[in-house]
Amino acid sequence: MRSWKAAILIMIAMPAWAETPDIAGIVDDHILPGYQALAARTAGLADAAQADCTPGNAHLNTAYHAAFDAWIMVSHLRFGPSEQDDRAFALAFWPDTRGATPKTLAALLRDQDPVVRSPEAFQTVSVAARGFYALELLLYDPQFQQNEAVGYRCTLITTLTQGIAASAAAILDDWEGGYADLMRGAGSNDTYRSPDEAVRQMFTALSSGLEFTAETRLGRPMGTFDKPRPNRAEARRSGRALHHVTLSLTATRDLAAALSGGDTDLDAAFGRAINRATALDDPVLATVATPEGRFRVEVLQQSITDIRQQVAEDLGPRLGIATGFNSLDGD
Amino acid sequence: MIIMKQFTLAISAIALGMGSVASAQAETDKAAVLDTYANIAAAKYTDSLITAQRLQSAVDALIAEPSAEALQAAKEAWLAARVPYQQTEVYRFGNPIVDDWEGKVNAWPLDEGLIDYVDASYGGPSDENDLAVLNVVANSAFTLSGAKVDASQITPALLEDTLQEADGIEANVATGYHAIEFLLWGQDLNGHGPGAGNRPWTDYAAADACTGGNCDRRAEYLKAATDLLVTDLEWMAAQWAEDGAARTELAKDEDAGISAILTGMGSLSYGEQAGERMRLGLMLNDPEEEHDCFSDNTHNSHFYDGMGIQNVYLGAYVRIDGSLISGPSLSDLTVAADPALDAEMQDKLSTTMMALGRIKTAAEAGFSYDQMLERGNEAGEALIMGGVDGLIDQTRSIERVVAALGVESISFEGSDSLDNPGAVFQ
Repeated sequence: MRSWKAAILIMIAMPAWAETPDIAGIVDDHILPGYQALAARTAGLADAAQADCTPGNAHLNTAYHAAFDAWIMVSHLRFGPSEQDDRAFALAFWPDTRGATPKTLAALLRDQDPVVRSPEAFQTVSVAARGFYALELLLYDPQFQQNEAVGYRCTLITTLTQGIAASAAAILDDWEGGYADLMRGAGSNDTYRSPDEAVRQMFTALSSGLEFTAETRLGRPMGTFDKPRPNRAEARRSGRALHHVTLSLTATRDLAAALSGGDTDLDAAFGRAINRATALDDPVLATVATPEGRFRVEVLQQSITDIRQQVAEDLGPRLGIATGFNSLDGD
Repeated sequence: MIIMKQFTLAISAIALGMGSVASAQAETDKAAVLDTYANIAAAKYTDSLITAQRLQSAVDALIAEPSAEALQAAKEAWLAARVPYQQTEVYRFGNPIVDDWEGKVNAWPLDEGLIDYVDASYGGPSDENDLAVLNVVANSAFTLSGAKVDASQITPALLEDTLQEADGIEANVATGYHAIEFLLWGQDLNGHGPGAGNRPWTDYAAADACTGGNCDRRAEYLKAATDLLVTDLEWMAAQWAEDGAARTELAKDEDAGISAILTGMGSLSYGEQAGERMRLGLMLNDPEEEHDCFSDNTHNSHFYDGMGIQNVYLGAYVRIDGSLISGPSLSDLTVAADPALDAEMQDKLSTTMMALGRIKTAAEAGFSYDQMLERGNEAGEALIMGGVDGLIDQTRSIERVVAALGVESISFEGSDSLDNPGAVFQ
């Protein structure tokens, strides 16, 4: 009964020309280099903060941007080691729909909470006050520059960057220390019982990464036509909102190419979206506040929606899989 | 059910030798499974309606003759009403008709200052929401998105058409269980300490005995919200009745229907419950991230959500009168495709229920859910993460069931996450 069903399925779902993606290749060429860059650059960020924690100093700003770039390049890979011990959430808590990040940071500063004095104790603090988005407020938001407690804020920044580096190092350690082998050896372990399960995981990462960029990175500041919400743009204080769109498209383009065996149509769709993003020339998506600006952002969003459609309706069936569940599935 | 399962197995065994019969039988099985699923939905929404009507009677009694006892009776009716309703949540993400409607009855989290008075510690209008402290109970006229609103009469229509999601903000929740919960319990000002909201019954008292101001308008609001809940549940119960729209839609395409069941199970398990409702609150150490934060009933909310997922898979639901609704189930279909996978799925669902049961028993014994969320509370973190891990783990098996039943080529293309994606933590 089962094999009969399976045979029918293969006939429907897998045309003869379909290829099984090179799982080990994706691990070695897409995933591991991404996490290696993240670990190296976040270590550099912690060093820079240790050397000089003053907001606005050029060395710290450069290190911040380099490390944040590295995170965005892997931010679609939300499975396995990044989900252990809330590491990805501790690196990147956004969107912050209820203002938890400024609230929690303000409470730490107001109370001079001694929890910041030890990196271990700091791991128990709300994820809203850890990671890149909390650091951005401390480095770039005027309300956190006026604080009298310069020494305390310095300790907070230093500990926070150490926490970022520790999370990134732990993710890389887990990948290199076993998780990469689980994916490469899909079919011979219980995490990935077949190559299909590993491919489904990667496919889910691709489609949820695209969904997040279209619906959250762009969709949140777009708001509605009557009520655009430019203040919701991601990392707008450090001018990174549009840059994140381009980076995440670049990263998911690489994964899509590997999963699709170099599908040129799909790659061209990514190329169009990236060109549109570049042409916007609006680093913090501020133009969503005007009708014509919003329209241009909507066109960019539509071009990502087109990619998502190709991925769901063309690539998925070709691989004989559909996207698995992701954290965006709730409401 | 046991008899049915054996019957299915017998048919499957015969089918091995007869391909064409097997295909006909497989189709029949799926139709029967969808029928059970729809019957259970009808029973759950009818139970939700009945318990909401009991709540309505208790609210009417409270308004007619306010007293501590009458307020307590209304609270108890609310708690009882949550038992069947939470078990329906597994129907949300797979059925657009439910998902489009759900926000009216169970939207959360809410900026409760929209509705009634709040403590000074709540703060004022926020970056995200200008209306966070609108306080409709105290204001019979106000401006909303530039338009003047006459709120001299608080009616179901005012709540539903004007206030719900006012200004396009999801936290402006004016209707449903949680609005009613706030009006019965009030804010929980105990932080991470024990204790729920402690609204005095005199918030509904007449004349000079009235506390909190505008007791008549508060009663009017409570009445309007409760009446609206009843009519909304009446509507949804009708959609699952014989020839109801939800049932008809489900039966259109059997594979899509089976896929809808699994989508509902997986989306509720992973993104919604494990992620947004449980792990997020823990990671933020925020007692306001409790699902039933005013009444401190979150442990039950999680428990019955999990139970809804389990009873949909097993095709067996115990109604509020104790009777059992059961029939051919997704479990039976899975057994036919891969018995070991069915055993795994059942095992994972049981493990989750054990973990959610631990949270419930600890909470009922006095270790309340908001205490579990406190920074550095290791026992609480372990309890909640037990539930989260169970839910995430069962999602993997749900994905395997999707693959084993061969419904993956249909699944998710019309799912909520593609058609109507929300922000990750909204």
